Amino acid sequence: MVNAIALEARGLSKSFGGVLAIADVSFSITEGSLTATIGPNGAGKTTLFNLLTNLYRPDAGSASCFGVDLAGFTPDAIAALGLVRTFQTARVFPGMTVLENVLVGAHLRLRARPWQQALWLRNVRREERAIRKKAEALLEIVGLADRRDDPAVSLPLGAQKLLDVIRALMATPRLLLLDEPAAGLNDFETAELARLLLAVRDAGVTLMVVEHNMSLVMGIADEVIVLDLGKVIATGSPAIVQANPRVIDAYLGREAEVV
Amino acid sequence: MREAVEIAVGGFFAGSVFALVAVGFTLVYSVMGVPNLAQGAFVVLGALAMYSLETRFHWPLAYAIVGSTAMAAAVGAAMERLVIRPALHRLPISGMLILMVGLLTFFEGASLIIWGSQPYSIPTFSGERPVAVAGVRIPTQGFWIIGVTAAIVVLLWYILTRTIFGKALRACAENPLAASLMGVQVPRMTLFSFAVGAAIGAIGGEVLGPITSIEFDTGRFFTNSGFIAFALGGMGSFFGAIVGGLGLGLVQQLTAGYISSLFSNTLTLVLLLAVLIWRPGGILGSSGARREDAREFIAHSAAPAVRVRGPAAWALALLGTITVGVLPLLLGRTGLTGSLVITGILFIGVLGLDLLMGYAGLVSLGHAGFMAVGGYTAAILATRYGLGPLAATGVGIALSLTVALVLSLVTARLRGLYLALATLAFGLLVDSVAVGLSSVTGGPSGLVGIPSFSVGGYTFASPISNYYFVWGLAGALLIVLANLARSGYGRALRATRADQTAARALGIQVPHYKVSVFLLSAALASLAGSLYAFYFHFLSPEMVSTSRSLEMITMLVLGGEGTLVGPLVGVALLTLLPAAFQPLSIYKTLVEGVFLVLILLYLPGGIFGGLLTALQRLGRALPRGPAVETAGRI
Repeated sequence: MVNAIALEARGLSKSFGGVLAIADVSFSITEGSLTATIGPNGAGKTTLFNLLTNLYRPDAGSASCFGVDLAGFTPDAIAALGLVRTFQTARVFPGMTVLENVLVGAHLRLRARPWQQALWLRNVRREERAIRKKAEALLEIVGLADRRDDPAVSLPLGAQKLLDVIRALMATPRLLLLDEPAAGLNDFETAELARLLLAVRDAGVTLMVVEHNMSLVMGIADEVIVLDLGKVIATGSPAIVQANPRVIDAYLGREAEVV
Repeated sequence: MREAVEIAVGGFFAGSVFALVAVGFTLVYSVMGVPNLAQGAFVVLGALAMYSLETRFHWPLAYAIVGSTAMAAAVGAAMERLVIRPALHRLPISGMLILMVGLLTFFEGASLIIWGSQPYSIPTFSGERPVAVAGVRIPTQGFWIIGVTAAIVVLLWYILTRTIFGKALRACAENPLAASLMGVQVPRMTLFSFAVGAAIGAIGGEVLGPITSIEFDTGRFFTNSGFIAFALGGMGSFFGAIVGGLGLGLVQQLTAGYISSLFSNTLTLVLLLAVLIWRPGGILGSSGARREDAREFIAHSAAPAVRVRGPAAWALALLGTITVGVLPLLLGRTGLTGSLVITGILFIGVLGLDLLMGYAGLVSLGHAGFMAVGGYTAAILATRYGLGPLAATGVGIALSLTVALVLSLVTARLRGLYLALATLAFGLLVDSVAVGLSSVTGGPSGLVGIPSFSVGGYTFASPISNYYFVWGLAGALLIVLANLARSGYGRALRATRADQTAARALGIQVPHYKVSVFLLSAALASLAGSLYAFYFHFLSPEMVSTSRSLEMITMLVLGGEGTLVGPLVGVALLTLLPAAFQPLSIYKTLVEGVFLVLILLYLPGGIFGGLLTALQRLGRALPRGPAVETAGRI
């Protein structure tokens, strides 16, 4: 299988009021891989995600997803290209149940037109049944099946983050960007998440994960991109990155308490 | 020339009071981020309380002024303590706006009971004889108005810019959280802004009372005018509020003097819409659409609406169908069948509003404006141009869609309040055009001789035929909208309401949904307006005025937002109860206001939602309860 480039950044830069948050960042992610982005707090990881999904407009540089230049795309158009993201803090939809939250994720996959939905035609019924089945299967996987009818905001924070992940999966993305999915999860939940992410990758979805949890990153990532002060300071396999003196110096050295 | 000057002077007086109301708006808006739509009620309260103290209890002028002002301030403070503060952490910003509407309605209802419906005029402060300045006659009361306004403005300016207290107040406006971290007692500031805002409004009423007539529902007029001034001047700017108020008074009087008093507001409303659309920061404002998102994200405990599904839904539907089917037979010739037709027509309008407010979380304060567009277009085409009612209704809907498209496209990029304010301005504008264009619309006295609705040769002439037609239509629409609501469209709307950024990240085209749901709701309101005109054979501006818009919101909240069926409860209550208990109609407004406030505060699901929740609890309490399966959604 020829490994195409799923995501490519070329010289992305962004500064906020003179502070350079992202400086000339370039990288590429191979289709089907699981890439982790690590770096100390303030390294620019979330800013990078926001640039890739056009929540911020880059000062310089560009990004492309499966060969399509992302400049000028609205966030929802980017999602339609197959690039779906989650957020650093859990953002479940308040006012909706757990199951409804997951169903929203399928939005891009719905083919029925609103007028067909209004008439509840056969294709709508079929579609609704299908996404419901898929949603329930995903809820089963993350252990939330018995809470499907509870308000989503009533879940503990860790479960809300898992909910965000499976909601994004409902969109059947080609490229999934996860911003600290393990934050707030206990060890058991983290292990569950690791299994889920590997399964997602094996299903052919390219993953890019911002994560603080080093054991998780080193355990599952194919590639690691290390950011520090807005710059890429190392890339490569976990083993190579871990041995890189600059990484140890910049990251591990400064944050000794990170497990 | 002298006439022009005299008119301008009159405009200046009225404008001073508008400026005072707008300053009241600004004070509250500064602290809370929501304009106090009940502000106009304090103008009426001040004036009427003063009238009572002076003429009934024979208090001297100075005492009466102080007494009525203090009374208004006390009422304002009580309102803040009892209603606003408990609501702050429970309601989203749109809910606060509706709460204010409830309070305005409440004050009107209370004034109606205390003072009755006749207009009042307070004795002038210093005699009736006008003073001539350079040949222009000016009533002495005018000097009082200008003097008092100037004094208040200077005093407020001093407090806000020169004292620590004022600094703290402005800090609350900039960032309430940071202000409270700096030791500013934000609740005290809110209390202060409400009490002082109320007092300022009351003083406006007291000084203006002698040269105008004031009755229980004049508050609505002052709220509208004050709001226009407030928005024109750039929401949140004191200087802008004053300039906006004076400018509004001037334009109003000049239009009334030289064009027609019926048009007095049209020009300013057109201007206001233009400002809201192109310069949301106001003519003088520079800050643009400031701090919309900051406030929007106050976490409100949004519990998912309780829903009926499965066998229970079928049972409810069957019960509803049977009830609708046999009700007219039971009622016979009591005349209530007519009220039921109106219930059905309004339900169609409120259905659209529920999709807009209950699902998408967008507020329209001018939905009756679309009823007016639909009603007048259909009525005029059918009476003057002999167009068939069905086609005329279609043209009305097309026109409403066009207007709605423009309104929503320009406000879609702005969050929260702007659509609400733009629709309020739109509703007022339609109202003033309907009143003013009397040669086309029949003016304030209404349009007569509208034919009955007919389709393909069949005319719906009797109440019974109208009844089945309207309810059949309402039932069909309910089913269609419920289908939309339970599938992808409804989920996209609710996700948009909950979190726009997260919704977009999942590929939901947020602006697209906002615009389309607004169009849908406008079309339904327009349809309801047309049916209304055809059923009554008559249409007057007050049948589709801003009061109607606010009543529709009350019906929606009362019944239960976001449930589609729930609003029917609200519509039925507010339509049938007054019809059934005519002698008690004086209490209608008060009860409406009280209900709206109480339900917003304590029963977020409305009556329907509350009932379902109660049934659900009952079902859980019983071992193998009734077949009401309420959780989740089909």
